[in-house]
Amino acid sequence: MAMKPEEALRLIAARRGDAICVPTMTTSPAWRTIAPDDLSVGCVGFMGGASSIGLGLALAHPERRVLVFDGDGSLLMQLGALATNAGAGARNFVHLLFRNNVYHTSGAQEIPGGDGVDFVLMAKGAGYREAFAIRDLSELERRLPHILTADGPLFVELHTTLADKTPMTAGMGVPFAKQVETLREKLLALGAGR
Amino acid sequence: MPESIPAPLIIDTLKDTFKEARAALAAEGVRTRHEHLGWILSVPDTHQKSVLAALDKERALRVLTCSTEDEANAVAAGLWIGGEPVVVMIQHAGLYASVNTLRGVAMDGRVPIFYMIGLLSREKDKDPRESRHSMVRYCEPLLDVFGVPHARLEGPNDVHFISEYYRLSRERRGPAAVLVGLETS
Repeated sequence: MAMKPEEALRLIAARRGDAICVPTMTTSPAWRTIAPDDLSVGCVGFMGGASSIGLGLALAHPERRVLVFDGDGSLLMQLGALATNAGAGARNFVHLLFRNNVYHTSGAQEIPGGDGVDFVLMAKGAGYREAFAIRDLSELERRLPHILTADGPLFVELHTTLADKTPMTAGMGVPFAKQVETLREKLLALGAGR
Repeated sequence: MPESIPAPLIIDTLKDTFKEARAALAAEGVRTRHEHLGWILSVPDTHQKSVLAALDKERALRVLTCSTEDEANAVAAGLWIGGEPVVVMIQHAGLYASVNTLRGVAMDGRVPIFYMIGLLSREKDKDPRESRHSMVRYCEPLLDVFGVPHARLEGPNDVHFISEYYRLSRERRGPAAVLVGLETS
């Protein structure tokens, strides 16, 4: 049975260690409640960019895991990113796709191709080191240690229900520029040993 | 008349620009964890192909080829947040393709992104704004609409604009660009 995205995020939050996290769209409201003081930056206002921001962070900080919480509609907007992410070969890069087959935020219209789109196959074809799907919470719990330690680029499709809130129903939260500034300051302070 | 700029001159200028950026971070006590000087994010531009070819042999500059300019903008944001110096090398058509990301990332996100934009098909004897090619003609006006400061590299004497506009992007916490007037040599 598909998992609730909030339950998946809670599980990840509890085990993520010092990972940098990049939520987008419907994972954003839940993540800022579950992990408000995390090393996070949400992809807001340019749909499809989450994995690219995550890739930049992963290349800048190879010593730290980077977890991207992408959406299926979002990924379809920048599908070429799969090849760029795979080609960059960052071992610390984990691309988690929260798959619900709809554009939830804009009213739950079905994504092009619906559930016939095989994102795992596309990620494998693009060259990700590993790509697989997880269909329920117990499987995520069982495989999470591997997800958080295996060499990337890693692609994991999580089959989820709709989120309780979208960015439109929950409000947009902290402005993107403020999130950017806060994460940069935190990372520079860590680099300076402050 | 505009002149072509040799690739080694551009690459040396990029290295100097990145060294200055690293020095600024070091002055804040930030330790670099990398051996390279900085990143070039490219969606290959025919106009700057001699620079891209020369970059293939460079060890001090890391090059990442992106599928789209949208990606290049967002990867640049991640690298900058992570403390890495970065330049985005694209073509005017790529600028047109990625205006929403330019707006969302560099402007709304206040991420300093410095662009080197090739004016492919620019006529040597014409001001770009008078080009018969719309992709050349609309580039500067588009940057003006978005309030992106820009300068033209019209010959070897203009390469100082690379470091100046890179620095400007950091100072204003937003986009800045130089336009490569003729194909690099």
